[in-house]
Amino acid sequence: MSIVAGCDVGSLTAKAVIMEKGRIISSALLRSKTNPQLSAEAVMQEALSKAGLSMDDIRYCIGTGYGRKNISFVDKDISEIACHGRGARWLNPGARTIIDIGGQDCKAVRLDKDGNVVKFVANDKCASGTGRFLEVMARLLDIPIEEMGSLSSKSTAPITLSSTCTVWAQADIVKYINSGHKIEDIGAGVNSAMAKRAAILANSVGIEQDVCMTGGVAKNEGVVQDLEKLLGKNIKKMRKADPQIAGAIGAAIFAMESLNGRS
Amino acid sequence: MMEIFQEAASGITNRYITDWVNSGKKIVGYTCSFMPPEIFHAAGILPYRIRGINTESMEIGDTYYGPYVCTFPKCLLQLAGEGKFNFLSGAVISTGCDAMRRLDECWRKTGEDYHGSIPGFFHYFDVPHKTDPHAMKWFENEIRKLILNVEKYYNVKIKEDSLRESISLYNHGRTLLWEVEKLRAHENPGVSGTDAFSIAVSGTVMPREAFNEQLEQLLADLPKQKSSSKKSGKQNKNGNKRIMVAGSINDDIELFRLIENAGSNVVADNICFGIRSEADQVNMEDDPISALTKHYLSNSVCPRMFGAYKQRFDLLQTKIERAGVEGIILQNIRFCDLHGSENGLFERDFEKLGIPCLRLEREYGPLTETGRMKMRIEAFLERMEVKQTDSGGKS
Repeated sequence: MSIVAGCDVGSLTAKAVIMEKGRIISSALLRSKTNPQLSAEAVMQEALSKAGLSMDDIRYCIGTGYGRKNISFVDKDISEIACHGRGARWLNPGARTIIDIGGQDCKAVRLDKDGNVVKFVANDKCASGTGRFLEVMARLLDIPIEEMGSLSSKSTAPITLSSTCTVWAQADIVKYINSGHKIEDIGAGVNSAMAKRAAILANSVGIEQDVCMTGGVAKNEGVVQDLEKLLGKNIKKMRKADPQIAGAIGAAIFAMESLNGRS
Repeated sequence: MMEIFQEAASGITNRYITDWVNSGKKIVGYTCSFMPPEIFHAAGILPYRIRGINTESMEIGDTYYGPYVCTFPKCLLQLAGEGKFNFLSGAVISTGCDAMRRLDECWRKTGEDYHGSIPGFFHYFDVPHKTDPHAMKWFENEIRKLILNVEKYYNVKIKEDSLRESISLYNHGRTLLWEVEKLRAHENPGVSGTDAFSIAVSGTVMPREAFNEQLEQLLADLPKQKSSSKKSGKQNKNGNKRIMVAGSINDDIELFRLIENAGSNVVADNICFGIRSEADQVNMEDDPISALTKHYLSNSVCPRMFGAYKQRFDLLQTKIERAGVEGIILQNIRFCDLHGSENGLFERDFEKLGIPCLRLEREYGPLTETGRMKMRIEAFLERMEVKQTDSGGKS
């Protein structure tokens, strides 16, 4: 058996993917725990038990994400930039520009036609334009994060946030809530603000088709649609697997290549 | 041996500063590499490049500067307001860039509000942005004006002979630094980038005699290496990538350590605290003031100089060739217009030549973003591992 795994320990969630012969046989996604090792162990254990496997069955494992240096069971670690690029490529073989919005960062990566990273940019030390921004706003609107995306299509008069700073935007939103604005209009404004931040990064790496989104925010259709309008490009839907686990998929593919002696 | 340089490069003061102050001698701080320290040396004063290292908070810096300003002058002002530069009897502020020029006004104002935070000798040294004859004349006048003011304030005479001796001493230091530069550029780098940078930084805060002496000793102690005739296409035996670091002001050796610990050797740099043009000697044949004028103004190594992009691009290319650089990290402090825009041009032009570039925007001061910076540096080194098939993209 040539079973490989990828483990992506992000700031908000930990993801694990187990692959065999280029196919995902199991995956798991958990809220990150207090330290990367605990998160990695828990998420990997869940993925393994779903597949009825044990860690001994994994021939090669690659770690990625901000906590990758602290995972004891990986054979190697690779940056999330390269892993998201590779994961997106597996989800969509035509992917050339990847916009990855994770819990605490937002990245844009441009790939060459062979899937190698050509250029990347990441947001700076600021929660604006990240999954955390969405979470804070969803909590303020008292709706589940999963429902944030659908607010855009229900909105008839989206609000405009005067600042994408998480703290100032909260103050803005409280003002809109107090003045009786509809939740969907406020939510649509939040999604639009997210899209604007991501568009800045995407434009700065230079956009090549196909454009894809990975990370948890890729599941927010409001952000995706606004981003499509801003970039003037269609963002390819990736249905093969959850785009939030793209980093772990990329790590598993690198693991497979390492096992096959290709890298 | 290296500890002396590392110590001097890691803090505001060092053992030499303490000894100098205890012996009752004067120290004058300066803020820009366009200011000739030879002038102060010739006056028996220790020239000290003012640094913002070890800044822990920014309440003073942020009070006098606006929010959209580079953090380097803010850190200097913060430390000045906290009294950390009280060992200075004088300071020379230059128009390195607009934010640095404003340090003159901001420090004066801080001096009014924080008693004792401004040194007795406080001089504004203007540096033109061009090298045409009028600008050269202007700069020469600035040097003469500085000499007159130093002579008047400190009651000293800066004689031509002493100036010549100081130039000779500084030139010797440049020769030694160039030896370090050759060692780090070797196929099997004899000095790490972090150590080479520590040495260069300490050269700006140590008495030159002691610096030269320590560096001579260090060079004598380092294992001899056969010089490599191979100019480019060098590859490290340890598999580390050969990196050049360029861009905004940096005097934090931890930045170099971070880059090297990620799996690279910083074999060259082009930063104003580093070894930029130490091979260029101040002409000893010329009249000293004229020689200093030409040396300090005509080397347009900083993007503050107008119309000299080509010269700076060529300088980087020379360094790339000499040290076998495989990738460039173009770092700049947030809101640094000069390096921010020039880094964009360098990235465009070096990527066209097939040299991978990473642009890194950061804050000056403690490396609070190390995790994120490390991730970008590692991703960049990974990117260098594979050869791209095209560059694509519209920007």
